[in-house]
Amino acid sequence: MPSEIITLQLGQCGNQIGFEFWKRLCQEHGISPSGVLEDFATDTNDRKDVFFYQADDDHYIPRAVLLDLEPRVINTIMGSAYSKLYNPENVYLSKHGGGAGNNWASGYSQGDKLQEEIFDILDREADGSDSLEGFVLCHSIAGGTGSGMGSFIMERLADRYPKKLIQTYSVFPNQDEISDVVVQPYNSMLTLRRLTTAADSVVVLDNTALNRIAADRLHIPNPTFTQINTLVSTIMSVSTTTLRYPSYMNNNLIGLTAPLIPTPQLHFLMTGYTPLTGDPDINSHQHTVNVRKTTVLDVMRRLLQPKNMMVSTGLDKTNHHCYISILNIIQGEVDPTQVHKSLQRIRERKLAQFIPWGPTSIQVALSRSSPYIQSNSRVSGLMLANHTSICSLFERALNQYDKLRKRGAFLDQFRREDIFKDDLSELDESRDVVDCLVQEYEAATRMDYLQFTAKRHTKTYGAGDNKSEESKSTENLPV
Amino acid sequence: MSQHRRQFRGGVEGSAIAAAAAVCSNDDETGAKIISKKIMNLLRELCEHIKGSGQDELRRSKDILKLHHKFASPNLYTPSPLVPSTVQYVAHAAQYISKSPNAFENLPVLSEQECLQKIMDTLNSKAHTQDAQKPGDLFYKVYKRLSDEQIDTRKRQNLLNFLLCIADGDSAPVLSSSRAPAGTCSVRGAVTEERPSTESLQKEFNTRYHSLSSCNVPGILVQTQLAKLALKSNGLNNNLILNANSNTSINTNNSQLSTFTTNGNMPPEINGKGPGGQIYSYDASQAGMGLSKQGVPNYMEVLKKQKDFEAEHDLAQNAVFAFIGIQGRYLKKDVISGRFKLNPLHQKALTASQSSMLLRLAELGYYYDRVVQFANTATGYNAMGCMGQSLISKLNDELTLFHGKVARLQDEMNQFRAVQMRDYISRDKTWLNRRRDDITLVRLMGWYGVHLKRMQWLSKIADACQMRKGGELASVVYDFLGHGGDEVDVVAVEVLAAICKPLVRMISNWMLEGNIDDTYGEFFVESLPEVGADRLWHDKFRLRHNMLPKFFSLDIADKILKTGKSINFLREICEMQELVKGREKLKEIMENNAADIFSYAQDTRWHAAMETCYQQTSKHVLDMMVGPHKLLDHLHGMRRYLLLGQGDFVGILIENMKEELEKKGSEIYSHDLSAMLDAALRCTNAQYDDPEVLNHLDIVVKTPYPGDCGWDVISLQYTVQGPLATMLEPTMSTYKILFKPLWRMKHMEFLLSMKIWKEQMGNAKALRSMKGEIAKASYGLHLFTSEIMHFVHQMQYYVLFEVIECNWVDLQKQMQKATALDDILDAHEKFLRTITVGCFIKTMTDMERNLEMVYGNIISLENWQSHFYEECFKELHAREVHAKRIADSERAGRFGVTAEQQMDRDQGYKNFQQKVNSACRNLETIASSYEKAVRGFLLALNSSNDPNLQLFGTRLDFNEYYKKRDTSLSVPLTFEHMRMSVASTTRGYKTLPPKSAQAQSETQSQSNKHLIVD
Ligand SMILES: Nc1nc2c(ncn2[C@@H]2O[C@H](COP(=O)(O)OP(=O)(O)OP(=O)(O)O)[C@@H](O)[C@H]2O)c(=O)[nH]1
Ligand SMILES: [Mg+2]
Repeated sequence: MPSEIITLQLGQCGNQIGFEFWKRLCQEHGISPSGVLEDFATDTNDRKDVFFYQADDDHYIPRAVLLDLEPRVINTIMGSAYSKLYNPENVYLSKHGGGAGNNWASGYSQGDKLQEEIFDILDREADGSDSLEGFVLCHSIAGGTGSGMGSFIMERLADRYPKKLIQTYSVFPNQDEISDVVVQPYNSMLTLRRLTTAADSVVVLDNTALNRIAADRLHIPNPTFTQINTLVSTIMSVSTTTLRYPSYMNNNLIGLTAPLIPTPQLHFLMTGYTPLTGDPDINSHQHTVNVRKTTVLDVMRRLLQPKNMMVSTGLDKTNHHCYISILNIIQGEVDPTQVHKSLQRIRERKLAQFIPWGPTSIQVALSRSSPYIQSNSRVSGLMLANHTSICSLFERALNQYDKLRKRGAFLDQFRREDIFKDDLSELDESRDVVDCLVQEYEAATRMDYLQFTAKRHTKTYGAGDNKSEESKSTENLPV
Repeated sequence: MSQHRRQFRGGVEGSAIAAAAAVCSNDDETGAKIISKKIMNLLRELCEHIKGSGQDELRRSKDILKLHHKFASPNLYTPSPLVPSTVQYVAHAAQYISKSPNAFENLPVLSEQECLQKIMDTLNSKAHTQDAQKPGDLFYKVYKRLSDEQIDTRKRQNLLNFLLCIADGDSAPVLSSSRAPAGTCSVRGAVTEERPSTESLQKEFNTRYHSLSSCNVPGILVQTQLAKLALKSNGLNNNLILNANSNTSINTNNSQLSTFTTNGNMPPEINGKGPGGQIYSYDASQAGMGLSKQGVPNYMEVLKKQKDFEAEHDLAQNAVFAFIGIQGRYLKKDVISGRFKLNPLHQKALTASQSSMLLRLAELGYYYDRVVQFANTATGYNAMGCMGQSLISKLNDELTLFHGKVARLQDEMNQFRAVQMRDYISRDKTWLNRRRDDITLVRLMGWYGVHLKRMQWLSKIADACQMRKGGELASVVYDFLGHGGDEVDVVAVEVLAAICKPLVRMISNWMLEGNIDDTYGEFFVESLPEVGADRLWHDKFRLRHNMLPKFFSLDIADKILKTGKSINFLREICEMQELVKGREKLKEIMENNAADIFSYAQDTRWHAAMETCYQQTSKHVLDMMVGPHKLLDHLHGMRRYLLLGQGDFVGILIENMKEELEKKGSEIYSHDLSAMLDAALRCTNAQYDDPEVLNHLDIVVKTPYPGDCGWDVISLQYTVQGPLATMLEPTMSTYKILFKPLWRMKHMEFLLSMKIWKEQMGNAKALRSMKGEIAKASYGLHLFTSEIMHFVHQMQYYVLFEVIECNWVDLQKQMQKATALDDILDAHEKFLRTITVGCFIKTMTDMERNLEMVYGNIISLENWQSHFYEECFKELHAREVHAKRIADSERAGRFGVTAEQQMDRDQGYKNFQQKVNSACRNLETIASSYEKAVRGFLLALNSSNDPNLQLFGTRLDFNEYYKKRDTSLSVPLTFEHMRMSVASTTRGYKTLPPKSAQAQSETQSQSNKHLIVD
């Protein structure tokens, strides 16, 4: 079927958020946990075939590929009510089952070794589509499988399917808690490089922000992953809602993404959602009553508030960061003229700061929502935004990386893998790429973004030939 | 007196019994079949009213009749035993009449109305003052019931004539005239002993029939007629009847009758064919005024006879003559004006007051003449058409009534004179005491006023109606209403009611049957014969505004038009024979209440019926279209497919057809496309749409102009047939017009997202190794692309959401509450009109032109980009080849590449750098041309009067990017500014007419193509 999207779930995090995502899609489309269309699901205005394929008349199977190097999470899924939902051929568990041990390099190497089996699955899925639009990858950037194997697969996909969009939902580690994974900064840096070079669009899901929102806004002191993932699945499902409930505009992934991403590198998107109700049973009743009176303007205004963002960017001290682009997906009972007025108000009050180097605005997509799910708010909205302050996340990652790298700590387990056999240039190159990305985001806050060229200040740690990409590419040219 | 009358009546009864017995014995059975019992009973009743008027002994039977009316159905009615003979007499006469409807063919037959009037007058004149209800009125009531029965009008006319005979027979000698003592039985007393009975009879009948338009047929005696009747119906027993009444007087009578029946033997006076013109007393010069054919002569003939008497010198007689347009001794007509003037020869004999009275009285004659003139179709001064005909017959009816009145006057005069004569002969001096009974000028002055007014108004109305017809005619008469006094109103209402009779019939025929029977083009709805069934709903029928009577508002006219149109639509297009049932009642109400239609208050029974009819029919059509014909589904379908409301479908269709869309227009075949359309429908949500709707969707390829590509020639079309086509055909062209810019917008979005942007994302990865070298060009490209992307997305959002979707939501609301089909169609048309404006079609050339420039630049950009990347990949490839060569040679142990190879590569690299530089410049050219177009567009939006467009302008420049770059966009919009800024933006291409803007942008994109990488 047309404009299909294949979802890849990698590692613990990827599979867990993926699980929640499919659970949500099934509910929205009236598909039972075993993949059978419910009797009440008579609405034909939704489009299931973007994310599912039909095995027979009323049996739907997710276009999902589940990959992990350790069996625990996938086994949990296969032991759940949703075990029959997935195509068993699309579930891949590494035979040796030891996982990647939170080591990016291990994940990457295993990806390399398993690539044939993995791409058998992916190619089969791709062949089974009429006109595949792209891949969506769910993973965390801090672990081993999701980040390492994810990186490898992204690179291969970009080679193999250069015309297909690669979008990721990437979970960034929680900065508020001291991670027991010491190499997390290395993992993040190495993954960020692939997210920058191989992916076309990255939806950043920041565990830091997600946890804060759960604690502060939803009053859950120690949120579980499941609770956090409910938020994530909301983001994921709403951001695909215009694909699944098509109307006049934004009915394919490219159409949805292209206006958000002006230059190939600046493709890291933040999300925000309001009203935040989470699970009805988590919320106090009073709170639910409060959010009910929301109007379109309320929704749009709240979406522009940092506290509703699923990314914690820290304080912008110089107040120079700005929106490159915004897409608001609004659902619920909306009077079309309200949209119009709200935009005008936001503009007059200058509630959002925009880039100076080109025209941009808040795009609005009014979307229908599932008739099978009772929404407890009149109007709700999701924002997909390209905001330059996202680079603070990368800066933070750079800092942490630099601290670790300066000390040359914990590098042994990396050196054991093929990619770091000769040297550690991969790490430094990755740092470079991420550094350039930060520079570009900073440049994008300025009028002269057009003249942007990244300055390379590659730091060399220890021995090893570190060449910038530029020098690599031009080395054969006589100068 | 009453004694005599009773005797006389006995005579009638006697003869009637005989006739009845004869007929009765013959074929009572068959007769019953021919005339229904009900009618028979009514006839009997009518007869009784005539016979029984003022008769004490019949009171009882009348009371019984009344009781019967009250408590029993007419069918159960058995005639009172007191009057069996009358009843039978009538029964047989009626049977005879119904069997041979031509019984009166050769006789002067009066119209039904005339008969009725005469009978009523006769009866009323005989009325006793103590009678609570005049017998004439009672008679009329029964008559009304008769007229409600379904009887052939001709038959009814005959029956009434027959009844008139009986009524007159009461006073005139019928069958036994000579037997009854002459003079004693006559109310009108025209018969005197001194005069031969033939003459008196002759006079009697002439008087009675004076107004017959066929003046050449002499008044034949009713007796004759009745005798004939009896003879014919009972030929064998002819003698028997006569013998049954055998006495000498009958025999004489019989012989007398036979003289009358023999036409040839008629006295020339009766015959009227004799000295011909001499009997007309007026000048030949007046023939032009249309009097030559008027049916007065018989009466005049009678009057002429009296010239022998002193009456000839009677002034009153002169005046009475004048009333009906006849010149006399004292009054002559002015040849030119047609007005009466005093005859100069005899003027001297008159006193001043007599002269003035005569002249004033003669005024009535003048108006009478006028009315006669307007009532005569031969004059050409008439109203036209059916409604005109109604006016004429109304005028004739008026004249007849008037004649009756004048005749009564004349009778009175004659009677007085006869008595006077007798008294004179018998030397009775008492006549002097009776002097005041005479008709004098003074009395006439009292009499004529009312009639003058009526004649005046009639002639005024008729004058205004000359050469008019239909609704116009009605409007003219309507104008007389409420102008002057009550008299006018009364006359005008009567006339208008008469005129409107054909109109209400036309209306009911149209509204209930959908037929237009309108030979004279009088009806305010017309059907255009040259318009085919396919345009039946919109064009076939229309209002003829000049035929729309003033008393109809456009609203009513429109409802009437729509109702009939709907009937036609249901019958012809939907092929429904079974139309709305139970409409006889409506028909009856609508046809029998002609006077209602011009009522001031539009709440009459007619209006209510019309409204009911309109609503029923509208609802019927609406149900038909919305139900079986799925109108709303189709409108929805068109919104989804033609107006691109179903985004996923359009996306897939374009994806499926993308190769075809880029081909040359001449290389595209629609049959390839149909399969792609089907595929797109199958694999999107369209698959769940009603197949009936989908079947109407079609892809068409228009004939390409040179240079056209697939995008230009391929379009979607919605084909409708049958009733839907009738409804929607006129809007199809709008859909076609609308599809073009929408399709073009999708084209641009496709170019930008699926080609330009996607390629950039992919190539950014592939060309990563060259990133730094091409950065200047590629950043320029990316930023420019994102700028355009923003524009196109905002544009799409505005058009698809704010314009189309919002208006569609409106339209849907309207469709929900529609009560008639036209509510939906009108709302739909309004919807299309609004979105046509919203889609920048043919509204503001400035915007259109700039928009087209923007689009032209997008196409340029696409060309530029593909050339740019081509060069990049060429260079990348060359580098890879070179690097491989070095690597290979190094592996082989040789040293690098040859100097020649190295030089080639160096040159190649230099060339590439140059190309990138020139590409940058070309990109700047496109970008600046684009920016100019966008600024022009923004300026046009800002200067627009439409607040929506202004707001759209601010949305396009939400972060004030353009405003900061172009001061003219930030200056407050004063009129002066608007004028200046419009002038300044148009200056660049002022010499180009707006039409060539597209051509210009095309040539520009062509030139850009060459510029790209040289
Ligand atoms: N939001 C969210 N984050 C998760 C979830 N599970 C793990 N994470 C985050 O993911 C990171 C750890 O990566 P994992 O996904 O557990 O690692 P993995 O990809 O399975 O790799 P290995 O376990 O090393 O094979 C940590 O930063 C966690 O905070 C989850 O369900 N939801
Ligand atoms: Mg794991």
